[in-house]
Amino acid sequence: MDFYDLHLHSEFSEGESSVEDFAKRAKILGFRGICFAIYYKDRKRVDQLKKKAVEVSKKTGTDIFIGLEATTLEELKKLIKIRRDYDLLLVRGAELNLNRKAVQTKEVDILTHPEYERKDSGLNHTMAKLAAKNQVAVEVNFREILLSSKNTRSHIMRHIRENVKICKKYKAPIILSSGAVSHWQLKDPKVLISMGCLLGLELNESKEALSKSPENMIRMIKERQGKRWIRPGVRVIN
Amino acid sequence: MKNLKIIAPTLREKNRYIYFQVISEEGEEFSYPDLESAVWNTMLDFLGEEGVSKTSIWLLKDSWDSKKQTGVIRCNHKSVQDVVASLGLIDRLGDNRITFKILKVSGTIKSIKSSTSKNG
Repeated sequence: MDFYDLHLHSEFSEGESSVEDFAKRAKILGFRGICFAIYYKDRKRVDQLKKKAVEVSKKTGTDIFIGLEATTLEELKKLIKIRRDYDLLLVRGAELNLNRKAVQTKEVDILTHPEYERKDSGLNHTMAKLAAKNQVAVEVNFREILLSSKNTRSHIMRHIRENVKICKKYKAPIILSSGAVSHWQLKDPKVLISMGCLLGLELNESKEALSKSPENMIRMIKERQGKRWIRPGVRVIN
Repeated sequence: MKNLKIIAPTLREKNRYIYFQVISEEGEEFSYPDLESAVWNTMLDFLGEEGVSKTSIWLLKDSWDSKKQTGVIRCNHKSVQDVVASLGLIDRLGDNRITFKILKVSGTIKSIKSSTSKNG
């Protein structure tokens, strides 16, 4: 089974470690591929990351993908327009409006930590239904749990557990990721799977959240970057 | 009577052995007591005293290999996920940053030993 971690931040965005350090560590831990998320400020930085990713991927043999992470509604609109230019579109969850917009947009691949810095879980049954319809994966972020402690950690875990329960009920895709900003925060796939189990997923569901769901997204990337793709649901047949 | 009578196999707890490796910065060393205290403290923080008691966790000191930085933790078969998730929450040993890699989970120590000998 191939495992993928689709939410990492290298030194090109808010991270501390280089692309090379991440790729090497991912290889040691047994990941087939990783995705670096970057906040879209200027095109130059994204191109630099792309170039570096290709170089490191050849050297280490780890598949590297580039994801752009939208933090506001305006940014999301901008990123949808240039959807073909990068691999994954992530939306940084937190604000309710943005969470809602993310799950009803077909171009979005991942809604990251919808419960981030909130007093509720940031996701309800309507949003879960939309996420299932539009195939937007809801992320379970390990870093949130790792960096918190005591009562904060227990609240975060409670909210994630609620989200997992709703997503399971409405069959919305779930993905597990380390959300690492340093290669030291990159976790063994077995650790992420175990955490998924503690948060309400069955063992096979937890494994799927780290392998099958990311693989589906990767298949979509290839389709999207082909010449026949126009927009979600529309492609040239002949 | 010196020892307890051996409990019936059906009543005995089923053990699982988690074979792990500690990945640390090159050249940085840490001691076994550091590892032991980090594992216990993290597990007590994360699972609580009652939760840890249910895992039947035990660190096997004899199986710690300081050269390869590998070791074995024993727990019962129902709490493997809890123990592995807790190990993932350890990111420091003393001043050193570390990551846990789970090499194998097995029902017998013999199987772990055979995999260690294969890996050299």
